[in-house]
Amino acid sequence: MSSRHPLVFHVLAECKISKARVSKMILPHGEVDTPVFMPVGTQGTLKGLLTEQLDNLGVQIMLANTYHLGIKPGVEILKKAGGLHKFMNWNCALLTDSGGFQMVSLLKLAVITEKGVQFRSLNASKSEIVLTPEHSIEIQNVIGADIIMQLDDVVKTTSSDDKRIEEAMYRTTRWLDRCMQSHKRVEDQNIFPIVQGTLNTKLRSLSAKAHMKRDVRGFAIGGLSGGESKDEFWKMVNLSTDILPKNKPRYLMGVGFAIDLVVCTALGVDMYDCVFPTRTARFGCALVMTGQLNLKQKMYKTDLTPIDKDCDCSTCKTYTRSYLHHIATIHTVSCHLLTVHNVAFQLRLMRNIRESIKENKFVEFVQSFMVDLHPNKDYPNWVIDALQAVGIQLK
Amino acid sequence: MKFIVESLTKNAPRLGALREIENRPNLVLETPMAMLYTRGGSIPHITNEVFKLLTQKSQIIQIPLVSTYNFEDVMSVYKGTIAEFVGMKECISCLTVQDPGDHTLPGYHVENSIPLWTRHGKVLISAKSYMNLVSLFKPDMYYLLSDGDTNISSPAKRIRKSVQNTIKYHKQCIDTHENLTGVKNSFMMGAIAGGYDLKARKECIDGICQNDSIGGYLIDGLHNNGPEVELLAADEINPVVVFVINNLQPTKLRAIHGCWNPVVILKLVQLGVDLFDTSYCYIVTERSCALTFTIDANGNDEKFELNLRQADFAEDFGPILPGCTCLACSKYSRAYIHYLVNVQELLGPVLLTIHNVHHYMRFFESIRQCIGNGTLSLLEEKVGNQFHSSKHVDQQDNVLASCERVDSADAFASAVLEMDRDNITASVSS
Ligand SMILES: [Zn+2]
Ligand SMILES: [Zn+2]
Repeated sequence: MSSRHPLVFHVLAECKISKARVSKMILPHGEVDTPVFMPVGTQGTLKGLLTEQLDNLGVQIMLANTYHLGIKPGVEILKKAGGLHKFMNWNCALLTDSGGFQMVSLLKLAVITEKGVQFRSLNASKSEIVLTPEHSIEIQNVIGADIIMQLDDVVKTTSSDDKRIEEAMYRTTRWLDRCMQSHKRVEDQNIFPIVQGTLNTKLRSLSAKAHMKRDVRGFAIGGLSGGESKDEFWKMVNLSTDILPKNKPRYLMGVGFAIDLVVCTALGVDMYDCVFPTRTARFGCALVMTGQLNLKQKMYKTDLTPIDKDCDCSTCKTYTRSYLHHIATIHTVSCHLLTVHNVAFQLRLMRNIRESIKENKFVEFVQSFMVDLHPNKDYPNWVIDALQAVGIQLK
Repeated sequence: MKFIVESLTKNAPRLGALREIENRPNLVLETPMAMLYTRGGSIPHITNEVFKLLTQKSQIIQIPLVSTYNFEDVMSVYKGTIAEFVGMKECISCLTVQDPGDHTLPGYHVENSIPLWTRHGKVLISAKSYMNLVSLFKPDMYYLLSDGDTNISSPAKRIRKSVQNTIKYHKQCIDTHENLTGVKNSFMMGAIAGGYDLKARKECIDGICQNDSIGGYLIDGLHNNGPEVELLAADEINPVVVFVINNLQPTKLRAIHGCWNPVVILKLVQLGVDLFDTSYCYIVTERSCALTFTIDANGNDEKFELNLRQADFAEDFGPILPGCTCLACSKYSRAYIHYLVNVQELLGPVLLTIHNVHHYMRFFESIRQCIGNGTLSLLEEKVGNQFHSSKHVDQQDNVLASCERVDSADAFASAVLEMDRDNITASVSS
């Protein structure tokens, strides 16, 4: 253990009923209030927003993708730039993924072996390229994010090949050890292991327990949000947070719909990321507490109200739904305006969640959130079940 | 609003100012100046939040009707002005008919109407429907409807028609203006048509310049807008501009729009033109370039513009223009912008616009200063030298690329598809 901890995690308040908690996570590039939603800046930019705008929004941590950054601008340039923070003019915290998942899903010809994720390049040389755990960490060390991810062996969440799932689970742990061994910036970057095991209770428990034996400061829950049913999803999240230690942050990868954020926070998750809020902005959609508005629709043509009268983002303070309707998907400005609002929406939701936990009103918060979303109280069964599992009854 | 000019010269550079602006008694907008070019009411790539990071000074936004005509329904229920509706209430608004940044398709004229080539196809605008839009938009300034569909190669017949149409629309608009509420205090500007035919120009001036409620004139009909205007040389337009200005009352504001290169802008300022627009910054940004020519009459020659798409900048961690105080130059590097434009991230054009508009506004500050201290010719020479010495192959490439890029309209819609692909990959990131 190093003398200086690049991650200090203080649990500040816990819900008396559910597993929800509010914490402060102190990273080399600043403090992060959790539960937190991390917007995704895939290519070292949050979809057209200046970092000055991210500051205005109160973004404390964002995510960048190792796979994309490794291809362009590439390791050499990032090294010369002094890391991604400097390259993109961002002084707050960053998190990078391992790049493995994108390789597997983007490159249909990828083969996973004990060595790493392997594929034949499509250019004339037909050379073989392997992303090994060591290589992934090497790139992530250059990028320099506050939190980095181990390379994991990815299996389709809905796979029914138990042998393959088991192999991937054990291999993920072996790769974790290789990642930790090759990690060169222990002083200022934190590796998070990824709990794997898809939907298999036994394997997921084994994975979590194995990773807990390592000297790490937080955990990711992976292999979910990949097409499985919500019933299976919440049970795996619940199982993982039951096992994982309370004094370290838990990061649920790829989750970001408002209802999922509320439920999974009740299940004890601290960190989330998802491309949905920024992606849907590009198609003219704005997030609101009751779902989303597709501003391209005719009904907004002369709607002179802001997207959300309770939102204090610069978009809602300045622009009407009508104006956004007229420019949505036509002018890039519409994309910037909706991205600002959608990120503000996610951050406000998380802020409200944190405040309710601190004030010991989280259960009431969840109940009223769900009623707003489903005024007829036709709650999805998985939501009822998941919340019931942590002692919250919907009204 | 009043235009007050310091010296009643004709073909000479001059300083002036727009003053006594309604609701903004302390605001003075000095000329020569460039209005901020907008599309759909926004400066391309720049939201109001970013605009405030770009400049704190009041500006005029130029609102081409081509990209805003479809606001008609909402503006008829909206109580405020067009500047408020588009989220730019800090700015003075000026309504123009055509879009200087985009090529205007010639022809397709019908009796009593101007064809507007909008995203939704051709829309015919008569003087009556135009004035209705003016009364709904309530701009601080606006041009009267005109037929500016001529260029250097227009046949005599088209020129004659454009003059007749312009005179007719002018009269119809003025008659309507008298009866309109809400725009009584708008600063009204007429348009002079007539292509490159001096006789036709004279005919147009004689036909419309008898009304003192007109605050200024647009020298229209020199080109069909879009990036090709950048290639037009000062010599070609010189005789027409000299002639028209000589025949206008010197107290009136004189405007010319289009993406003229800075060398031509300086020539036009020398001839006494007061008002321009920033559509040039738009076409420069769209070809991933940054303006770097020195605007200091005594400064060192610089490269005229940098094409940040080029590999030379991949490892250049300096600012676009050392010494520039814009946000893009003070916080972001050439290498980062190079990277952004190469991976087609939307932040690239945002940063380029911030710098280009900032630089262009400082260019006009320098112009005013040089007029004040009598060194405009020095500045003209300085900018000319830089422009001509960088007129090598890639400069030409830049310009041609720009003609292609901006003409292939709707780059964003295709970019949305592009990004969709990018996001499918990102959405599976976990
Ligand atoms: Zn908002
Ligand atoms: Zn600059």
